[in-house]
Amino acid sequence: MINIRNLLRDKIYIDQYLFISITLLSVMGLIFLYSASQGNIETVIKQSFFVIFGLFLMFIVSQPDPDFYKNNAVIFIIFSLILVLLTLFFGKEVNGAKRWLDLGVFTLQTSEIIKVALPVFLAAYLYDKPLPINLFNTFTTLVLILLIANLVRIQPDLGTSLVILIAGLYILFLAGLSWRFIGISTGFFILSLPFIWNNFLEPFQRQRILTLFDPNADPFGSGWNITQSKIAIGSGGIQGKGYQMGSQAHLDFLPETETDFIFSVIAEEFGFIGVCVLLSVFLFILLRCLFLAFNARDRFCRLTIGGLSLLFLSTVFINLSMVVGIIPVVGMPLPFISKGGSSLLSFYIAFGIIISMATHKKLMQK
Amino acid sequence: MIDINERYSEKRNFFKRLLFVYIFFGILFLYLIYKTFSLQVSSFTDYELASLENKTREFLVQPRRGIIYDRNGKIIVNNKPSYNLILNPERVDDINKLISEINKFINLSDAEIKNINDSFPNKKKLNREVVVKRNLTQEEIARFEVRNYKFPNVQIAERYTRENLYPYLFSHSIGYVGNLDEDELREILLSQGLKSSETIFTYSGGFLNGKTGVEYIYDKKLRGSFGKKIYEVDASGRLLEEKQLIPAIDGENIITSLDLPSQKVAYDKLNFRRGAVVAVDINNGAIVTYVSSPSFSVNKIANGLSQKEFNELINDDNKPFFDRAAQGRYSPASTIKPAIALFGIEEDILDWDFTIQDPGFFVLPEDGRIYRGWKKGGHGEINLKDAIIESSNTFFFSLAYKTEIEELRDHLSNFGFGTNVCIDCFMPDDGLLPSPRWKMNTHNFGWFKGDTVNMGVGQGYINATPLQLAYYSAFLATKGNLNKFSFVQDKDIDKNIFNSNNINDTDWDNIHESMIGVIESPKGTAGRLKNLKDYVIAAKSGTVELVSTETKEDYQIIREVEGKRDHAIIIAFAPMPNPKYAVSVVIENGESGGSVAGPVAVAVLNSLIEND
Repeated sequence: MINIRNLLRDKIYIDQYLFISITLLSVMGLIFLYSASQGNIETVIKQSFFVIFGLFLMFIVSQPDPDFYKNNAVIFIIFSLILVLLTLFFGKEVNGAKRWLDLGVFTLQTSEIIKVALPVFLAAYLYDKPLPINLFNTFTTLVLILLIANLVRIQPDLGTSLVILIAGLYILFLAGLSWRFIGISTGFFILSLPFIWNNFLEPFQRQRILTLFDPNADPFGSGWNITQSKIAIGSGGIQGKGYQMGSQAHLDFLPETETDFIFSVIAEEFGFIGVCVLLSVFLFILLRCLFLAFNARDRFCRLTIGGLSLLFLSTVFINLSMVVGIIPVVGMPLPFISKGGSSLLSFYIAFGIIISMATHKKLMQK
Repeated sequence: MIDINERYSEKRNFFKRLLFVYIFFGILFLYLIYKTFSLQVSSFTDYELASLENKTREFLVQPRRGIIYDRNGKIIVNNKPSYNLILNPERVDDINKLISEINKFINLSDAEIKNINDSFPNKKKLNREVVVKRNLTQEEIARFEVRNYKFPNVQIAERYTRENLYPYLFSHSIGYVGNLDEDELREILLSQGLKSSETIFTYSGGFLNGKTGVEYIYDKKLRGSFGKKIYEVDASGRLLEEKQLIPAIDGENIITSLDLPSQKVAYDKLNFRRGAVVAVDINNGAIVTYVSSPSFSVNKIANGLSQKEFNELINDDNKPFFDRAAQGRYSPASTIKPAIALFGIEEDILDWDFTIQDPGFFVLPEDGRIYRGWKKGGHGEINLKDAIIESSNTFFFSLAYKTEIEELRDHLSNFGFGTNVCIDCFMPDDGLLPSPRWKMNTHNFGWFKGDTVNMGVGQGYINATPLQLAYYSAFLATKGNLNKFSFVQDKDIDKNIFNSNNINDTDWDNIHESMIGVIESPKGTAGRLKNLKDYVIAAKSGTVELVSTETKEDYQIIREVEGKRDHAIIIAFAPMPNPKYAVSVVIENGESGGSVAGPVAVAVLNSLIEND
């Protein structure tokens, strides 16, 4: 027994806190999904396969030494860029959006892959650069971030594009981007907002932003989703209406219950108590990531853990803010809860990498 | 283990920045939780209500109108069940096949098939019933019933139509119902604390309210209040499940004082002639007979009339819609004489022994104008009683000549002239009790003494409705102690007490005796009614001259044109000496009050008294 335990400790790299909390979250997700899909057992079984495969993938991904990711970051980013470009030309079109590559057994949302690959690459690129980052490095990374974000935006997938942009900028920020540069570029960004509004946003995206400020202007049109989502959440009250008892979700008032608006279903059926339980699991994962980042063995690991955990954090935040009506509807799944294989797998991979970074101690001295 | 190669400050810098981002998001998360809290806890009741409103749909359930009875408990207006074939579209996939299956045993017109096909997709989406065919015949119902098992999604639904069992008898008294307009509906719903919404109809005609007559006057009582059916619906508005049913409260039934047998008699005796009959129970002013002729079918009006049928009714010269009983204006003619006589006694102008010499005409002293009586050569020396029995115009011309118009007017208004005499009649006309001021305003002429003289025989400007004449008749019968008229006696109605200084019971008895003489006396103007009954009737007939003629020969020319012939009028009450019923009959262009209107009045009184 002792031998096995020692063997496990020495040869198996696993962070039990993250593993348990992510498994818990995934199982909760399956339970929620069963209700959100109107009791469609097929959807839940399919999702279960992704969860089991994802947990396995997370375990596998956490085994190699961080140096493996550092050394192969270029390959990963080039591979995922090729996937994104392929999607642009050969992607499967669904509802006017080309986001998926048909791989036969599974349609892959390629933006989900590059979403993880980019922070790893940026960390690998920046870990040995002198601090503070010079202007050249700042601009090359910025150009890369904007290029990738824009490739995703034109699919169009504004939500993922935003997350990629934000995650990329975190890495730059964490890597020590000077405050002056941040200040100047923020000012520049604000000034260029009208330009972005006119040239980079599709009409429906503009409408969504306008709707945010006045959802009641057109409650049956563009305001429908957010109005119904608020009704679902609000009518859940403190205790909720009970599992599978949410009338908003089950009578089709709520749109996209399995994906974007699954939180509204949870809030309706489990109330404020359920929301707090769910949010504390998310909070636990994030605080664990913060702790792991503090204790990471080197700069590459720190940047990667920081970047990937913030990628997770902003995804959760954007989804929740969207469904309660703080920000416009951009189309963003709730990690580990929403239906959707690619998004699910990408976060298992991301946490696999985080666990790898956190559990591998430096054996060889440089 | 910490890499010693890394600079400590750089690491601290990283932590600070990572913490910065975490704190930034931490604040956003707090806001998010606050936002969720405010939705779920602070505004919970609002959203709970919104969610409830989302998923429920209220239907109004139409109440049934009350049934209307006659005074003997015979149903006059009922709710007649009709049967519609309806289908529940939810589980029907091939509507054309189903329709052609049904068409094999229930014949559907092209319009009906088109209607079904047009409405089917939407009704299926919303899960609302589709009407296949309305008003099934008994045969069609039977043919469907035997094949019922083959059509699980088709059924027969019961609906009602408002049906008057005697569609021509009560057209002007009970009236008819029709569809409401938006505003009327909103008002009715508002009065019951409801909003306009989809409605489950009990009547195939949809929303109904009373348009005329008792149906209109007592609409609030008859209509009842709407119920509610609450369904759970999904986002597309499809009905899922009935959640709650608050049954409609049906309208109250109404027992009227109308008497079916006498109503039939009056209608038959009028026999499509233009005219009206009104009879009342004098003890409480209850209207027992109320017929205006010619009539029309209220059922056709209520349940749909073709444009052609409607135009025929509207353009009919006999004006069947016109309620002659409450709105027809007729000169009272000689029927007014008892009232004038009472005025003479009240004012001490004459007594029962007073006589005049009747040469057959009266000469107005002011200008020598001659007012003629109906009998050439006159009635000779005549007293008041005989003047009523024989209907001496000269007597009453000279009596009226001695009166003041304003005082005469006040006196006549006690008898119902120029006033509304009914508390629940539909749009009654007040008739006309003229005054000098009225004449000046309308004709721009001053009042002549001759106008007063004319009023003494009920001619000239004065006119009254048959309803008012019935009131006048009942007033005489009760010696001035009378309720206002009504169709429904569910409330206390004050009695009008006639105050007079000089008229005593003997005077009233003399009036009654004179009026009995009109029929019973050999000289009476309505003597031929004597053998039509086996009790005693008090009456006064009248003949309304539409065209003034000097001689009988002149009238013979006039009467070639039917519309110029005299109107026939009679008022009567019976049985004497303790009268119970009073009646008035007007027959337009009937020529003779005694012999044309009289038999109708007697027949109605016969029916009323026999059936008591």
